[in-house]
Amino acid sequence: MITVDWTSILDFWMPILPELVLSLGAVAVLLVEVQWKPSRRALGRIAAFSVLLAASFSLLQWFRAGDALEFGDPGELIAFSGMVVMDGFAIFGRFALLAITAMGLMAGWRYIEGLGRRGAEAIALVLLATAGFSIMVASNNLVMMFLGLEVGSISLYVLAGFTRERSESDEAAMKYFLLGSFASAIFIYGVALLYAGTGQFEILAIRSFFSSFIVTSPAVILIGLGLLMVGLGFKVSAAPFHSWAPDVYQGAPAGMVGYMAAVAKIAGFAAIVRIFLTGVPELDAAWLPVVAAISAVSMLAGSVLALVQGDVRRMLAYSGVAHAGFIMTGVVGGATTGVLFYLGVYSIQLVGAFAVVASVSGSSGSASSLDDYRGLSSRSPGLAGAFSVLLLGMAGLPLTSGFVAKFGVFTDAWGNGYQWLVIVAVLASVIAFAFYLRIIVVMYMAEWEGEGIAVPGPARWVLALAVIATIVWGIFPGSLLDLAANAFPL
Amino acid sequence: MLTWLILLPVVAAVAVALVPARRRELHLPLGVAASVLPLALAGYVFWVFQPVAGFQFTEHTTWYEPWGISWSLGIDGISMPMVVLTTLLVPIALAASTSVTKRTKEFVVYTLLLEAGMIGVFLALDLFLFFVFFEAILVPMYFIIGIWGGERRVYAAVKFFIYTAFGSALMLAGIIALALSHADQFGFTSFALSDLMNVSFSIGSERWGFAAFALAFAIKVPLFPFHTWLPDAHTEAPTAGSVLLAGVLLKLGTYGLLRFNLSLFPEASVDAIQIMGILAVIGIVYGAVVALVQPDLKKLVAYSSVSHVGFIVLGTFALTSSSLQGAVIQNVNHGLTTGALFLLVGMIYERRHTKQISDFGGLQKVMPIYAGFFIFMAFASIGLPGLNGFVGEFLVLLGSYSTLPTLAIIAAFGVVLGAIYMLWAYERVFTGVPDKEENKVLSDLSLREISLLAPLAALVLVIGLYPSVLLDKIAPSTEAVLDHIEETTQFVTPEPGRLSGFFVAGGDDE
Repeated sequence: MITVDWTSILDFWMPILPELVLSLGAVAVLLVEVQWKPSRRALGRIAAFSVLLAASFSLLQWFRAGDALEFGDPGELIAFSGMVVMDGFAIFGRFALLAITAMGLMAGWRYIEGLGRRGAEAIALVLLATAGFSIMVASNNLVMMFLGLEVGSISLYVLAGFTRERSESDEAAMKYFLLGSFASAIFIYGVALLYAGTGQFEILAIRSFFSSFIVTSPAVILIGLGLLMVGLGFKVSAAPFHSWAPDVYQGAPAGMVGYMAAVAKIAGFAAIVRIFLTGVPELDAAWLPVVAAISAVSMLAGSVLALVQGDVRRMLAYSGVAHAGFIMTGVVGGATTGVLFYLGVYSIQLVGAFAVVASVSGSSGSASSLDDYRGLSSRSPGLAGAFSVLLLGMAGLPLTSGFVAKFGVFTDAWGNGYQWLVIVAVLASVIAFAFYLRIIVVMYMAEWEGEGIAVPGPARWVLALAVIATIVWGIFPGSLLDLAANAFPL
Repeated sequence: MLTWLILLPVVAAVAVALVPARRRELHLPLGVAASVLPLALAGYVFWVFQPVAGFQFTEHTTWYEPWGISWSLGIDGISMPMVVLTTLLVPIALAASTSVTKRTKEFVVYTLLLEAGMIGVFLALDLFLFFVFFEAILVPMYFIIGIWGGERRVYAAVKFFIYTAFGSALMLAGIIALALSHADQFGFTSFALSDLMNVSFSIGSERWGFAAFALAFAIKVPLFPFHTWLPDAHTEAPTAGSVLLAGVLLKLGTYGLLRFNLSLFPEASVDAIQIMGILAVIGIVYGAVVALVQPDLKKLVAYSSVSHVGFIVLGTFALTSSSLQGAVIQNVNHGLTTGALFLLVGMIYERRHTKQISDFGGLQKVMPIYAGFFIFMAFASIGLPGLNGFVGEFLVLLGSYSTLPTLAIIAAFGVVLGAIYMLWAYERVFTGVPDKEENKVLSDLSLREISLLAPLAALVLVIGLYPSVLLDKIAPSTEAVLDHIEETTQFVTPEPGRLSGFFVAGGDDE
């Protein structure tokens, strides 16, 4: 009689259980589709179940991580021979990814249903992308990080081109894929150079390498770090590596763009924080000015270029560039709390905003010029109101979570001695006000008689959630800030 | 209590928002009725307000401990008159908005939210909280101008928003810098005004901080040369928007200069006396000269506003007892008279759909009551003795003469110019024979319109004849501001406030 020690098996797999669940969910969706050809709704239930299960395991991880930090040995949190860590940072990032996945699937549900039998593939790709980015957030090893990055990115390339009938969609997918693989190649070259310089793949080992050796000529390491920054800067659409973003945001299926943009940002910034803030803090004299410069360029370029767009999706793409810059001021600030809070609230606003865009775009999926929003407040007051709250949230107006987020990262950056960056940032926020207002002007101040826009049920929930999150965390930010403050990397 | 002063308008806004859209006849009356509640509460606060220095009715609730931010409210002699003025002008502005026929519900909701924000700015004792209110009021005002304004409303609304947001953005950086310096010097982060007043700076960084705050407030005031957004916003805004813009929103700037710049950066404030005084006087003269040549009645009042707020800034930075008291009371006066003038312009616009001075003439024969109110408010604005404008401008000029004599003399010419453009406008609009057919059939003010103007006129008279009703409550707080400056700097105010006994009952008992 063989007894199975379930507890130790659970303990062994615990650090990657959420990812396992998500991958199995994706496989299950595909298999069930082939075998039984059920309704989309049933597949949606499978996806929802795997996301919920993954979230429950993450919650379990959160308590374990807390216990280990308080009573045990933090080393317990490093698993699979140093491949992944189960620290609060990873778990917070994973929670954000899972929340965005759930909201993204709901926001894009009408699109998925419209795909007919291919809907199953879209659901599976979403789950796989989340699994990949989730492992990226939790990885302690640069190769593992690359693996997660590729799993996630390749799923997103396919999602971007999912509507094969539309040529913009093809173009978007092609551009995303070509430039994205280029960025991945640069990333892996950076990993190689960092390995050449330190002899380590593990981020924590790289940190101890710098605390035990004094590197007199760190040129190779610095070039490696620079390449890593380029690769990740591409993923988070920071300027000047952002040129793909507007085309992809415009061409990819409207229902999915919010999800795609948000998860890529969360994972990309988690990787930046892990590599730069926990891996090589000793070299910050070298990389801080570079990150600050990227941050400043992103904020200014994103805000200014967004001003001249006539298409809401492109505008949101450039605003995404600006936001990448704002989040980077938090990286420059050297504290993870502000970055995590910003990522959390911004990604929710992003998914919500694209739920609006998808509703306005309608079945054709292409109507997203500013003119399509004319007089939206008289046609669909609820939709226009929700969009305004989300836009003002992204603009960072007080009483929205966006303001708290900006305030947090700006304070960090100022405290870390980057006063000039904060001044650039507040000025860029004012420029950003201008284009967010442009959309609101069109919605509220232009007369237009026309039909209302029906928002599909699940998307309504997404909008309600996003608006509530934006306002509640704008007025009572304490709950999320406390969580983010506890979610520090090892 | 003060929390309720902020929350009541919010509750009222929610209540109005819940009234179904098809019952559109209910929205405006409900809004007016609801906005009387904060007025009553503010009246009570005024009644029990003690004429002593320091903040009263203070409330303190921690907001987010690690950041040191708190919901911290209080009222003193500088903010109390502004709160009362705000709560008074909102019901009047709403009741004057019967011509707003499209989307009335939203209009009422935005106005009430605007009121909550404005009261919040005056009551906040925590800089984070202050900034939240200061910035949040942009949104309702932006909608009020942009939806219900005139032809170029969108341009004016966006210009208003971007201009003021630009100013406050740098102030945000200043606030962050202050809080972090406090954390450095005292070991804990705090945004409380009383804590931040203790932060000591090198003179260089104090000047930067002063500049960041002063820019935000100077744009809001607006001080020359940051005034270009104002005429656009005023001309395009609906009447209620103009009344609140002139009556209260501009005062956020003058209030901020007095409350924050003087208290947080005393050394830099003393250094800036000359610069701020010169800018203020340029504003006084420039505003008056431009007002003189305006063909548009509303623009004329808007530029007269630029001129009058110059007196407030001059009084603030002259740093004497009487000039500071004059600045605070002029805040109220300007709100009353300019608010009333904008109401009057709105009333004639509703009848004739033009604001061009040349379209009118001889109106006093057709509309005697209207003409009466207009000349009364014009005199108040000019500063005729016995009316409120005289008290404020006299105190400001008297006080600034001891610190900035040259500027005070030039500013006095601004008063003369004010008389010229106001009376000239009156002459062109009201005197003579009505020669245009449209003007001959105009109806005089209705009872409703008279009842809107009457309380303002009554207050103009009360403050003019018996200013100590306000000055008694203002003086201890302005003295406290001066004391703080004298304690922290080498500055000695040239005149210890005896002269204010002109107006303050019991001020001459020594």
